[in-house]
This record gives sequence, C-alpha cells and structure tokens, in this order.
Amino acid sequence: MNRQFVAVCVGLMLAAGSNLALAQDGAALYKAKTCWSCHGKDAKTPILPIYPKIAGQNKEYALTQMKDIKSGARSNGTSAAMKGVMHLVSEEEMATIAEWLSTLEP
Amino acid sequence: MRGSILTSSFIAISIALCGSAHAWNEGGGEQDEALHLTPDLENGMDVYEVCSACHLPEGWGTEEGTFPQLAGQHKEVMIKQLADIRALNRDNPTMYPFALPESIGDAQALADVVAYIEKLPMTPENGKGEWAEGTPEFENGKKLYVDNCVKCHGDDGMGSREKFYPRINGQHYNYMVRQFEWIRDGKRRNANPEMVEQIKRFTDADMKQVINYTSRIPVPKDQVAPSVDWMNPDFE
Repeated sequence: MNRQFVAVCVGLMLAAGSNLALAQDGAALYKAKTCWSCHGKDAKTPILPIYPKIAGQNKEYALTQMKDIKSGARSNGTSAAMKGVMHLVSEEEMATIAEWLSTLEP
Repeated sequence: MRGSILTSSFIAISIALCGSAHAWNEGGGEQDEALHLTPDLENGMDVYEVCSACHLPEGWGTEEGTFPQLAGQHKEVMIKQLADIRALNRDNPTMYPFALPESIGDAQALADVVAYIEKLPMTPENGKGEWAEGTPEFENGKKLYVDNCVKCHGDDGMGSREKFYPRINGQHYNYMVRQFEWIRDGKRRNANPEMVEQIKRFTDADMKQVINYTSRIPVPKDQVAPSVDWMNPDFE
C-alpha cells in the first residue's frame, strides 16, 4: 500500500467521522443552547408564527443572523427574544449549529 | 408658566406613583382565578413540558443564571409573574411567547403548572457568588441582608407566598444580580416599590455582596434533590 493511498484513506475516515460528530454536535447544541425552545424540535415548528422556520436555511445566512443578534448589530423585530440567550453560544458553536441546520429538510 | 410646570410635574409624579403601585400587583382577572382553582398535577406536568426546554425538566434553570430555578418556588409568586409577563408588566422578550395563553393555556392550566413546579425538588448546587463564609465580602453581604432584606424575604430567604414575595434561597447568583440591578434601576417594571426604595442606594459592590450572601443561604434539606445528578422521572 503506498503512503499516499493510506493518507487519503485516513483523511476520508477523519472527514466522515468529523461530519458525524458535527451532526451530533449540531443537534445537541441546538437543544442545549435552547434554540429548540422557540424554533421547535424539528426547527420548523416555531412557537410563534412570527418566528422563523430555520430547517434547511443556508448556513452562511443563519450564521450571520446569529452573530448579528448576539452583537446587537441586528436588533429589529423579535430578535430581543433571542439576544437573551446568545451569550450562551460561542461563534464556533454558532457555525456548528448553522452547518447542521443547513442539512435539515426544510 | 412656573405654575404650569409645577402642576405638570405634580401630575407626572402622581401618574408615576400610581403606575408603579398599580404595576406591582394589579391582581384580579386570571391571577385571582388561578390562585383559587384546585390544581391538577397530571395536567401541570403536561403543561410544564414547554417550560422545560429552558428551565430544564428538573426546574433547576441554569447555574450560570440565564434561566432561574423554578423548582420549589411559591406557586403564588409564579402565578403573579406569569400573569405579569403575559400582561407586559414585566419585560421578558425571551419568555414572553411561552407565557401566552396559546402556550400555557387558561387560568386552570396556570394553576396546574405552578402547582407541579412548586413540588419539584431543588438543585443541591445553585449558582453562588465568589465569596465564601468568613470573607469580609460575605460578612458585609450578610449585614446588608439583615438590614435590608429580612423584613420581607425572611432570614431564611423563604419570602412570603401570601404577599407574593419570592423565596430567594437556592436561586442562582447571576440571575438574582440581574434582577436586583433591574429592580434598583427601574428596568423591571413590576417590582415592588418598597423594594425599589429600599435598595436605591446600593452600590454595585453592595449588590454583589448581598446577593452573594443570599445565594449561600441554605435550602431546607427536605426540599433539595438527593444529588446533582437527579433527573425528573416524569420526563425520562
């Protein structure tokens, strides 16, 4: 077995492993950071009709909104409700949640 | 001109005074109704599921204080706070949708869920301030507590269900600091005006020290869960 082939195999295994870890982390964070309280367990059954369904959302968009609501750059609409919990979520965790949300069926 | 300014100031102050007295405990309506209904604990458990997403199935909230511990709280206090949040007398945008009748239900559901929550055992490890017993900060906090808080919240921190004063023993430090600050600075609009008056001269340091002491008042053993790993069997 040549060295390059082994490296590729190991790389693929790591990538598959980390995707799985990411999915588990994303789902766990979505619950632990209380996102699901408002957006629903399936991320598409919000508690109020004026809250968004976020399953299948583009990850870049979701991440930007999370960052802006946390920083206060976005303060319109009902974002005050979310700002109350955003100090619990680091930027890395936001990225993990956004990535996971983007994989869900809208 | 001067007279009219004085008159309008007087009117403004009168409105402010009436407003705050009114906002502290309006009573009536669903609050009174819920207080007098016989609770159904089974239904209370069902209603609590939506609350448990943030306050946790055990009702312990979070040690870092984003969400308060509800377990063991007087049901009268919780009815008042829920009614106040519903009526927009207490600003809490995160909690607001969960307090709505669409989420919780009618006065009977209110009575059911608070009766269920009050019976939950409390966390053995609530969030505490940084100063252990014996430090000067702890002692100063204790003195402040005795001089300012005991009359209403009691030396054991149990408050008074009849008067809608919350129990504050076992509550998380950060949560209490936040509420204390909002009450002192007028941000929490349903605060008791007597408390606003009582604490208006507290510095931030005094505030942290008195809450540090409060967070360390022991909770009666029979009201505490056997371990920090206890899980509410109703939600397994």
